[in-house]
Amino acid sequence: MPKLTIDGRVIEVAEGTNLIEAARQAGVAIPYFCYHPYLSVVGQCRICLIEIDKQPRLAVACATPVADGMVVRSETSDRVREARKAVMEFLLANHPLDCPVCDQAGECLLQDHSFDHGLDTSHMLETRRTFAGLERRMLGPHIVQNQNRCIHCSRCIRFTQEISETAQLTYKARGNGVYVDTYDGTPFDDPMSGCTADVCPVGALTVKEFRFRKRTWKLRSVPSVCPGCSIGCNVWIDHHEKVVYRLSPRENAAVNATWICDYGRFLAESLNRHEVLRPQRQIDGQLQPVDWADALASLGEVLDTASSLRVVASANLSNEELFLVKTLLGGARRADIVVPVWTGEQRRMKNGSGAWLQSLDAHPNAAGARRLGLRLVDHGGLARFLYGAADVTVILDPLAHPFLETDEATQLLRVGTTIVFARLEHPVTRLASWLLPTPSLACNEGTFISQTGAVQRFAAALAPPQQSRPLWSILMALGGELATEELPLRSPAEVFAHLVQTEKGFAGLDWETLAGTTDTAQRERYHGG
Amino acid sequence: MTTRPIVSEPAENLCEVTFDSKLEKRIADTLKQYPTPRAALLPVLWLCQDRYGWISPGVMRAVAQRLGENPAHVEGVVTFYTMFRTRPPASYVLQVCRTLSCAMCGGKELAEHLTTKLGVGFGERTPDGLFELHAVECLGACGSAPVVQINDDYYESMTPEKIDAVLETLTRKA
Ligand code: SF4
Ligand code: FES
Ligand code: FES
Repeated sequence: MPKLTIDGRVIEVAEGTNLIEAARQAGVAIPYFCYHPYLSVVGQCRICLIEIDKQPRLAVACATPVADGMVVRSETSDRVREARKAVMEFLLANHPLDCPVCDQAGECLLQDHSFDHGLDTSHMLETRRTFAGLERRMLGPHIVQNQNRCIHCSRCIRFTQEISETAQLTYKARGNGVYVDTYDGTPFDDPMSGCTADVCPVGALTVKEFRFRKRTWKLRSVPSVCPGCSIGCNVWIDHHEKVVYRLSPRENAAVNATWICDYGRFLAESLNRHEVLRPQRQIDGQLQPVDWADALASLGEVLDTASSLRVVASANLSNEELFLVKTLLGGARRADIVVPVWTGEQRRMKNGSGAWLQSLDAHPNAAGARRLGLRLVDHGGLARFLYGAADVTVILDPLAHPFLETDEATQLLRVGTTIVFARLEHPVTRLASWLLPTPSLACNEGTFISQTGAVQRFAAALAPPQQSRPLWSILMALGGELATEELPLRSPAEVFAHLVQTEKGFAGLDWETLAGTTDTAQRERYHGG
Repeated sequence: MTTRPIVSEPAENLCEVTFDSKLEKRIADTLKQYPTPRAALLPVLWLCQDRYGWISPGVMRAVAQRLGENPAHVEGVVTFYTMFRTRPPASYVLQVCRTLSCAMCGGKELAEHLTTKLGVGFGERTPDGLFELHAVECLGACGSAPVVQINDDYYESMTPEKIDAVLETLTRKA
């Protein structure tokens, strides 16, 4: 492996690594705009200029592969510092200084590099170039364009050409007048359009749904996994004061590189929706609030005395929850458990090696249910299951399958005692004998298994609202009420540790390292700003 | 020398474009001379401009389809090159050079003369749709400055009088 020196630090990196990534490994941050680790290298913006010993001219770090014995200077070279100042001055010659009202502020590479490498003055006396009519326009359903801010890095264009492959974006015109547009101004409806705003290093492309809702530096980010389909893209839940503002991609080369599809991205808002907020019980045809302690005690009894018990689980539940269900209800209580799955809309994602992953499975954890040995059923299987009679039916997630919304299903569920765990109003919640509030993914922690078999952990961003509690914690509490040997498990982490010990499919895994808290996931977020 | 007027297809005929057999044959012949369809993009666009007088979004889409490109790429190329016309042109497109050699030999005056004579600014056209005036950079004929290009023909060593005569002939012919 070539060994080189960057700003006095000696480092050994893999053959073919470019100087930006090599420097990053050495702990030296070389600035870049047009470079992106998952896009082609174009060497267009010149901010990454560095000095290499024995080479008369400065070179662009992004397009220079490492070589053994190379001596590279970045911030330690006067020439480099001066060159970067000049590049910054050129970029700022036409860039509007509208940072206070720009929604990219706080995650803008131009701000960052201006701060680190720029001049505090400008020679520019002329008026700035502007693009009439392109200052605030909808480029597509989700992307707002302000061409005046564009620094012509072509990342957005390369994204549509190389990653989403719609090739919808292009430069138009030439020279000083170059701007980004679609063919004939047609709507930019790329299914991954949001990613162009992520890769845009400045505020030229922003996402309509997030714009002006929150200053970015107030957001806290918690690692999570997109619940939209079985591909399991890694995301950050960006939240502030108990509100989820957006999902943004979290780097994982094996799954989603630094991308997420628009469908997943815009699930963010749904994570804030909580309609069932306290435990309730059907009394005289009416759902009446009860407190948790009473509810749990009574439910313990209901479950203990049930002559037959059936459980509709869900591929939206975590492995830990599924395991608790299997153990507490399936074990001694002999519940008949099914996990319904259905074919959803096709989703696609491109991983870091450029391969497409495809999914028709609308759940994040069907693979987990399978690995835990639970029985997966389709529409017909679920219907047959519900036609069979049982004393007590437990619905762990009304969104487990669309069949549960139908009149047919609700008719079947009116027989016997029906215990429903839910977050949103649903035909099934209305007929529940017991209705227990569970919060959204944003308030939960656990693991999912992606369709390719990766066990991925998600962390809780928010505390559950009002009286709702994550399913795992309700199940654990219920475990204490049941007349069986107590499971000595107190948290998803402990359940997971238990799984690692007992289930072959989890052997060797470590909860701590599963949450994407590795260095690469933390490196510069989505390489935007 | 008589410059032929540009016959341009009106916009409404160029929304959905199918190449006629003659144009299709020329495109097919052109494609044979290039290693990849993408490489033939410029010559194919020339053929289209020759045929339709200008390149509408519909033409771009047809070209994109023919070459297996995305229409956005084709439009990017068309708008990069100033010699592709993206609006139906006047019958005669006048490009008057304003670079150094011409400027020193009276090109500036010539350009001013043309604006008053035609009553239009650069980038504009006369109301009768006959003439369109553009200021351009060096046409590569400095030896006979000042130069005006009308459609595909060069008119060299021009003076206000000479260009007046040219314009008169062209108007009369039309
Ligand atoms: S819009 Fe943004 S990403 Fe696209 S070229 Fe301009 S600065 Fe780069
Ligand atoms: S990052 Fe190297 S030239 Fe833009
Ligand atoms: S300067 Fe006019 S043709 Fe060269």
